[in-house]
Amino acid sequence: MATSFRLRVNGERVLVTADGDEPLLWVLRDRLGLTGTKFGCGEGECGACAVLINGEAYRSCMVPLSEVAPEDEVVTIEGLGRPGALSALQQAFIDHTAFGCGFCSPGMIVTAEALLRRNPAPEREQIIAAMDDNLCRCASYPAILKAIESAAAGRAGEEE
Amino acid sequence: MPFTRRTFLELLGASTAFAVTYSCSKAVPEPAEPAAMPVEVAGSKAKLYYADYTDWLLIHPDGSVTAHTGRVELGQGLTTVLSNIISQGLQLPPEAVKLVMGDTALCPDDGPTTGSAATRIVGWGYWRACDRIRAHLVERAAEVLGVPATELVYRDGGVVGRSRFDLRVGIGELVDGKVHLPAAEFVETYVSPQTYSDPGAANVNGEAIVTGTLRYTGDLFPGEVAYASWLLPEYHTQMTRLRAADLEGVARRPGVGHVQRFWNTAMVVGESYPTVERACAASGAKWKVPERSPELDVEAEIRAGAELHRTIEAHGDPEGVLARGRVVLRETYVTQYASQAPIETETAVAEVDGDRVTVWASTQAPFVSRGKVARQLGIPAENVHVIAMPVGGGFGAKGGTRAPQLAAEIARTSGRRVKVVFDRDRQFNSEARYKESVVADIASSVARDGRLLARTLDLYQDEGAGSTDTYDIPDVRTRLFRTPMPARHGVMRGTSFVQTCFAVESHTDVVAEAVGLDPVSFRKRNLAIDAFAPLLDACAERIGYGSRSLPDGHGIGFAICHHGGRQLGAVAAQVGVDRGTGVVRVERLEGAFDIGLVISRTTLVANTVGAMIWGLGFALFEEVRLDGHRSHVHHLSDYRIPRFSDVPPIEVSFHDNVVPNPIPRGCGELPTVPTIGAIANAVYAAVGLRFHTLPITPARVLAGLREL
Repeated sequence: MATSFRLRVNGERVLVTADGDEPLLWVLRDRLGLTGTKFGCGEGECGACAVLINGEAYRSCMVPLSEVAPEDEVVTIEGLGRPGALSALQQAFIDHTAFGCGFCSPGMIVTAEALLRRNPAPEREQIIAAMDDNLCRCASYPAILKAIESAAAGRAGEEE
Repeated sequence: MPFTRRTFLELLGASTAFAVTYSCSKAVPEPAEPAAMPVEVAGSKAKLYYADYTDWLLIHPDGSVTAHTGRVELGQGLTTVLSNIISQGLQLPPEAVKLVMGDTALCPDDGPTTGSAATRIVGWGYWRACDRIRAHLVERAAEVLGVPATELVYRDGGVVGRSRFDLRVGIGELVDGKVHLPAAEFVETYVSPQTYSDPGAANVNGEAIVTGTLRYTGDLFPGEVAYASWLLPEYHTQMTRLRAADLEGVARRPGVGHVQRFWNTAMVVGESYPTVERACAASGAKWKVPERSPELDVEAEIRAGAELHRTIEAHGDPEGVLARGRVVLRETYVTQYASQAPIETETAVAEVDGDRVTVWASTQAPFVSRGKVARQLGIPAENVHVIAMPVGGGFGAKGGTRAPQLAAEIARTSGRRVKVVFDRDRQFNSEARYKESVVADIASSVARDGRLLARTLDLYQDEGAGSTDTYDIPDVRTRLFRTPMPARHGVMRGTSFVQTCFAVESHTDVVAEAVGLDPVSFRKRNLAIDAFAPLLDACAERIGYGSRSLPDGHGIGFAICHHGGRQLGAVAAQVGVDRGTGVVRVERLEGAFDIGLVISRTTLVANTVGAMIWGLGFALFEEVRLDGHRSHVHHLSDYRIPRFSDVPPIEVSFHDNVVPNPIPRGCGELPTVPTIGAIANAVYAAVGLRFHTLPITPARVLAGLREL
């Protein structure tokens, strides 16, 4: 049954009226127009729909709307940067051509962002472990790894 | 005084004096006659679709241009390739080049985006068009400026005096719209007066991709569409029929607006994607299906129905040579059913207005989609407008996608704007367009000095064969047997080159060993195309073949493949096999590809590395297992595709030795193909196991090791 939910998405407070069991993915895409978060499988198996909730990466297709609290900070790919104002990680994806079709890229970038917030200087093995459940059928994996490593190196440089 | 079309006409007096006409300035080019023509290309059975792209490039008054093609961005980088070519061809800044792709109302029908041909056909077609347009504009400027053409030169989006710097006229001042030139035929080896050099620019869609603002089909009209889905048969065959379902119950569910019988199932329309998917799942559908033995022996079934379709190649008396031969090897190789598995599932949006329909679709073939929608609705094709959106991975799955027909049909009956988004199970099975399983019987006779003497190759499949003439063999016969396949099949990256090359290149190593030659020397001794040799050498050197010893359980393998003689590839793979678990890990891949002129190394490397990883997946993981009419693959977790942790260091190099005049020859699918054979051969080098079937799973490795 449709209920009203208060959310905080990309720093903005929004009111959504929907069934509590509607996956966050479809709330973001169709009710809030945030279509950067992609539908790839709806079963939590590809990672294309990853979003940050309080800084951790979640698969929004597996998160019912009712489980998102009003004070939770939801951040989608649109909240990480925008054309003309890219995050360093987004820029690194461009610099390394870390995509083919680009469909999985938002989920890749969001998942990598969560990793770098948790661990600003990850080893390659740690990056692989954190990213391994995100699938890219164009198989841009080597370039994605390089992009994440270079973004991490940039962050480390800023902190010194 | 700025030059306008009017001033030109005044200057020219009567435009009929010149072989030039002007189109009015409008967004849509007038269709050329013929808009696009299929042309026969020497050495190729397939027809190529090509347009004279001078007819499809619009020049605007501000000096910017808009180029049109019916081909589509699939992630292969076609947008970047065309942007590079046209900006360099007309010496314009990249931002002055706009592309309109895959729109059936605006673009030529210059073929589906398949066969690794877009850069060669469309890209080089536009390069040639730019050459012709530049020459034409110099002539135009000469008339306008009253200066001999020999004193003028095209430079930086305009025509300037060779020695008089005060003379300059921009292209937007010379032409308003389309340049009309006599129709040009397709020329396979076109020689350009201007040299292309890769600007090394980033992917033009990059910023939109990384910000989530590149709009794919599913991103259109958020909150302003109805969703449609259908009851998914539990069998992959088209022969299945809906026996029973609680359609009234489905229709009563909240958010469900419309339910209708359709094809062999029933369609459900609702307010949201979750609503319709849950409604379909709750329908309690029961299906009937023709009887078939649940134990499907694919090889036996393929052989049972086979009939000789075509003799591809026949020289001499290969059977006689084989019968008399002293070293003769006879083998059979069988490949698996596989699935394209793009991350973006098949998607379309349709909107009906009277007897016209607009369809936005994730399609590799917008004009094919237009025809299918027209047939579905029983309306003329010109009433159907298909707009191909950027495709989130096609790999063959979206050449014959039915999402546009489904969306259009439901849009018509429901009166709504309808979006169809396949779920993962539907993507795997509803169309049942798996990559087909192929049986290959191959036999060779070889002299003791390592020269191949004779070969027979019989391929049992439904598609055309891949290239079989990699080696120079005096007596040879290659035949294609067509057979009713156990499951419907479609196109998947590399098409049948994948299956053919796996068989031929595995067999080549078997033959090499029989005469005591290493795989590289044996191949080089028998090559039909000399340009393979430097590719093999490059791979061998980079992977350290012969120059270092590997520990037990590790090995290096090679394979080569060509595509129509114009794309050549060699791959070396190093693998490690765990004798305890049976797990094969690819430790290194080296690829060398002779593919002509590189238009965008940025996108080429991305595509090539990805294609090689595809080969890794096909060799080691990917398989759609079928039991009778039932598929075992419904979720991504049932179908293992390569992941981050599977990917070894990969190095690629590009060469240009085949044709003296450099043209881009394409490289979209080729790198997948030899990677598979190279991995299979490396497994043999590592542990002495020769695999005649794929994928090389741990269970098969362990079973093989036990039998050694």
